[in-house]
Amino acid sequence: MFGLAVRSLRHRTGGFVASFLSMFLGATVVMAFAALLDTAGGSGVDDVSEETLTTMALVVGGWGLVIVLFAVISTMTLSVRQRAGEMALLKSIGATPFQVGRMIVGEAAAVAVVAAALAILPAMGAGRLLLELLQNTDQVAEGISYGFGTAALSIGLGVTFLAAVSGAIVTARRATKQRAKEAMTAVTVEQARMSRKRVIAAIAFLAIGLNCAILTVALFDDKGIDAMQTAGQASIWFSIGLALFAPVLVRAVTAVLAGPLRLLGGISGYLAVENVRRRTQHMAGALMPIILFTGIATGTLYMQSIENAAPPAAGSSIPADEAQAIETLNFVVVGMLSVFAAILVINTLVAATTYRRREFGQQRLAGSTPPQVLSMVGMEGVVLAAAGVLFGSIGSIVTVFPYSLARTGELLPDTTIGIYVGIVSTAAVLTLASCLGAARKAIRVPAVQAVAV
Amino acid sequence: MPEHDITSAAEALRLVQVSKTYGTGDNPVRALDDVSLSLAAGTFTAIMGPSGSGKSTFLQCAAGLDQPTAGRVFIDGAELTGGSETALTKFRRQRIGFIFQQFNLLPTLTVLQNVTLPLRLAGKRADRKRAIAILERVGLGDRIGHRPAELSGGQQQRVAIARALVTNPSAIFADEPTGALDSRSARTVLSLLAEAVREFGQTVVMVTHDPVAASYADSVIFLADGRIAGSLDRPTAETVAERMTHLGDAVTLRPAVGE
Repeated sequence: MFGLAVRSLRHRTGGFVASFLSMFLGATVVMAFAALLDTAGGSGVDDVSEETLTTMALVVGGWGLVIVLFAVISTMTLSVRQRAGEMALLKSIGATPFQVGRMIVGEAAAVAVVAAALAILPAMGAGRLLLELLQNTDQVAEGISYGFGTAALSIGLGVTFLAAVSGAIVTARRATKQRAKEAMTAVTVEQARMSRKRVIAAIAFLAIGLNCAILTVALFDDKGIDAMQTAGQASIWFSIGLALFAPVLVRAVTAVLAGPLRLLGGISGYLAVENVRRRTQHMAGALMPIILFTGIATGTLYMQSIENAAPPAAGSSIPADEAQAIETLNFVVVGMLSVFAAILVINTLVAATTYRRREFGQQRLAGSTPPQVLSMVGMEGVVLAAAGVLFGSIGSIVTVFPYSLARTGELLPDTTIGIYVGIVSTAAVLTLASCLGAARKAIRVPAVQAVAV
Repeated sequence: MPEHDITSAAEALRLVQVSKTYGTGDNPVRALDDVSLSLAAGTFTAIMGPSGSGKSTFLQCAAGLDQPTAGRVFIDGAELTGGSETALTKFRRQRIGFIFQQFNLLPTLTVLQNVTLPLRLAGKRADRKRAIAILERVGLGDRIGHRPAELSGGQQQRVAIARALVTNPSAIFADEPTGALDSRSARTVLSLLAEAVREFGQTVVMVTHDPVAASYADSVIFLADGRIAGSLDRPTAETVAERMTHLGDAVTLRPAVGE
């Protein structure tokens, strides 16, 4: 089966681009930060520098594991779902679910090894830049020399491989649980309800986020940057909770937008509404990364912006130099999250749209002009972007408001709206560009060919 | 529908020296070779031929789904001219109805929504009453709220027939409409097509390789190697099958002659 995995990889490189990209970027970031551990272990490193270096490496490494895991599950699930027919074929010629699962895990493992190996060189450079940045901002002593060794390699390769394989195992379990027949029909008939497990998990994440928000106000009022300990997490947990509720949210937003879309969008609006209603599961998959991106980026960046504008607090237990390290960390984590969220948004939407090639063909044969198809896809994108931005913003509130309250005594932060506008337009542009770009490509094929099975 | 009256000699479809060549360079494939024909409005014509005879290419060129390499195509007197995909689509949805082997209904829409879709796409009022009347006519009056996935193949194909009829097109093109159906559903579908011609004066052009399906038509036109190889009026399954057998002979003999 591993041989099959390798052959399968060689023949459909395109399907693995997103998985590869997220593993490669993840490996680069994790390895670059893990190099800080090697640097910290070098000779002549003072205690403060060592602590800064170690904290950074562990925090980013931990988040890296979570993010790469999530990205791998998401991208692999899509590539497997698109090959439902092939999986069904394998089963019909006698492959057991275990063998199919081993093929999926084998593919992921092979991609992970290549991605991590290719990440070594860029990670060495990135780690050096990182150290220079820390030294230039006086967070780490000047004299310390850069190290890239066992820690960087073992953590970088280990985290990537672990995330890829566990992501693939989750994917394989999902894929093989489906019967062949279901795999073929899953696209048209989808169960509208969320599983119990998912609802419980979503509520738990929302509760943790809310708890962090309350703690921020209750424990860290006037304690300065200490409040970040809880405030920073609040939007992350809350956004994850909201993202898990994505199918419900898609339905809610569609219900609100259905009227205006039909009124303003004509036939394309009408079709967009019907499609979104019938495909909540698909839409939810694309909505999740948009919510996470908007929620976490807005929450973290505004938290930092409030901090930078606020007067120093008397009750803070964190010295100024450490505060700066935290700022750097905040930006790194947000930057990393944003890049991954962008990959996921693009990958999910492009894959989902390309997958609809046949449906677009059928629609064109029924009399849709290409502009009608595109405007339908565009309006679906508008629903997605609107829902993602709306609930992402709600997700960020649990960080922004409590932090502002704790730091300045005001609920609404007195900082620029520019960051928010930037985040929202990035989310909207990513969503629409991915949908429309993929749809344009999908309808370039003659309709008769597109519907041929 | 006076303009489609059976007694009028109006022409629904006319092909003038239509050719279609695939591929370029040393090895071009001539899928359609100088085909000319004229079909009167209110007729049911079957296009038959062995695999690779150009049946599908014929349908695609005649119905404006593909551009012929040479020649002209007229639907109800209007010429199909090369233009943007948008212009071609508008031409098609005004004058042509389609029925495909794989039904090609939109999975997210209900039966009724699928049937009114061509009207809506053309910016016309979605005439629910008319759509429901046609759906009742094809025996699906009680299924209008179902999705295609909840219907059998035969039922889906009847929805497709209703969808093709709803715009009252100049011609309906059917591409192997019974190819994916069991024989009982196939008979129902073919009878409905024949009724559309006899009772509503519709023009139906059906590509098929099944002699039984062809026997429902008023006449059969045979294609071989991209050329018209004869025709047959008032066909029966037996006469069609016999002609097909000899067409097959001709095709297998041809390379030997060429050598």
